[in-house]
Amino acid sequence: MAWSFQFLEEIALADIAFEAEGESVEEVFRGATQALLESMANPSTVSDGWERAIERSDTDQSALLFDWLSELVYWKDAAGVVFREAPLTLRQEGEVWLLHARLIGAPVDYQTQELHADVKGVTKHLYELKQTGSRWSVRVVLDV
Amino acid sequence: MKLNTDMTVNRITDEIWEIPISEKPGMLVPARIYATQEILQAMDSGVFDQVTNVACLPGISRYALCMPDGHWGYGFPIGGVAAFDVRDGVISPGGVGYDINCGMRLIRTDLTLEDVQPRLERLMTELFRKVPAGVGASGFVRLSGEEFGRVMTDGAKWCVERGYGWHRDLIRMEEGGCIEGADPASVTDHAVKRGINQLGTLGSGNHYLEVQVVSNDRIFDPATAAAFGITGNEQIVVMVHCGSRGFGHQVASDYLKVFEKSMRRYGISVKDQQLACAPFRSPEGQEYFSAMNCAANTAFANRQVITHQIREAFETVFGQSAETLGMELVYDVAHNIAKVERYPEGDLLVHRKGATRAFGPGSAELPEPFRQTGQPVICGGSMETGSYLLVGTDRAVSDTFGSTMHGAGRTMSRAQAKRTVRGAELQQQMKQRGILVKAVSMSGLAEEAGLAYKDISEVVESVDRAGITKKVAELRPIGNIKG
Repeated sequence: MAWSFQFLEEIALADIAFEAEGESVEEVFRGATQALLESMANPSTVSDGWERAIERSDTDQSALLFDWLSELVYWKDAAGVVFREAPLTLRQEGEVWLLHARLIGAPVDYQTQELHADVKGVTKHLYELKQTGSRWSVRVVLDV
Repeated sequence: MKLNTDMTVNRITDEIWEIPISEKPGMLVPARIYATQEILQAMDSGVFDQVTNVACLPGISRYALCMPDGHWGYGFPIGGVAAFDVRDGVISPGGVGYDINCGMRLIRTDLTLEDVQPRLERLMTELFRKVPAGVGASGFVRLSGEEFGRVMTDGAKWCVERGYGWHRDLIRMEEGGCIEGADPASVTDHAVKRGINQLGTLGSGNHYLEVQVVSNDRIFDPATAAAFGITGNEQIVVMVHCGSRGFGHQVASDYLKVFEKSMRRYGISVKDQQLACAPFRSPEGQEYFSAMNCAANTAFANRQVITHQIREAFETVFGQSAETLGMELVYDVAHNIAKVERYPEGDLLVHRKGATRAFGPGSAELPEPFRQTGQPVICGGSMETGSYLLVGTDRAVSDTFGSTMHGAGRTMSRAQAKRTVRGAELQQQMKQRGILVKAVSMSGLAEEAGLAYKDISEVVESVDRAGITKKVAELRPIGNIKG
């Protein structure tokens, strides 16, 4: 696994903040996605009966990641689901970054799933995707 | 005096503190914080930084304000109040919050603790069943896109027309539960899809439904309490805290994006991305105002449908009609909203984020039941400590753009609260103290433990002493439902 994430406690008193790291932009997308999934529910307790294919593109990687994370929050409410996994690939064509992802999860079930926070939105507060040496990282604050 | 800021903070009175415009480049007005010295000293550095950022926004009038329950927020601090000239000022989603028209509602009853105690377990189970809460919860009201549009334009009025409540409920809501100027065309399809199934749901985080008791010795102003339907004698009341759910959040997110782009065109720069804004009179500003009003009306409707469900739960458990049980609405107040109001400076767009309108008896805007008393102000504390019913004053209108506090204010992170206390243990401890808690998520319950919040009584004392609201009654919890 070429990505990792950690929750940050002192940034957003009433909310959830995390920092994800990876060896590439694609890996940092994966790390941030996993952090968001785990903020909403324990993915290992969620089955895989619901699925959506998502494609997004942007010339700005940072804006693309922000929109992708926001998309996860949107589907949580619009479809009433939580997620087991969200495999993704990210590639560049000329100036444009293309994201292909699958959202896999199941309708919310209090009996079988370990549910965490009802994330309401991804915020721009302290939001930053950056490269330091060979590592990429992003800091994200979620409104819950 | 040691504060969590290097800025100069001058004492105006024992409850009012001012940061002069010299403390940050770009400040157009001073910032004022309402707090006792003790509360001021405990405030996080974000409050000082953010309230002075707000003081830099174009068109701001008089002061950027922060109430004593203030803490760090997105853009504005929670507890932030700022008024902008409608002619050349701005509108900012960061001054309203993501949960548009998050607010409080209080329902009185004729029941007493003696009536309810033997059936409390059954009552809480019934309320938990009838009011969906937590991640992904959807309500029982099924709406077409067109009907949801009516909810956006008509708010609580739509509910009453559909049988979810009584006509007389409407007069006991800020703006009658329906704000004009809400055009569904200003709302994205994304927002509609996020919100269409959530009417009548509580949400999670700090949102709750609470059964409370009012004792005689906790009524501070018997005449005003009586006018609000609060009679004491271990009277049972029900408090609801929630907002516009995913719909309001999507509206806020959508327009933050719009404003980030349009700010360059209008030559506006802000100290924090979350303060993205647009001139109120600009097309973007007017569209957000309309969309925000759609979300505000949806929040009024959400609390109204929940009220209907609460009344049905009481009817089931006590075998009498809600009317016989005296389940009248005391009031419904927004604490995340922007509204045009008239002040000596003229028409101002007052942003309240984690702050409550607190109009006094002299306010012509108030409906008849509150012309003599001032409007009820409902402030929620932590689920362990209790809440307050206050009343607005003319002093609030003259000093704070008719605004006051909204709750206790958080002092501990969610993660730290979870490390300090376990949800199941907390539930057991609270039961031993006579508070029955039903929660969807035990970790969510731990995050909302009383130790994570300021002492609401001290916060209330500071607004009472400052004269911007007066204490009416303290409400003690005996049952709580959390998402």
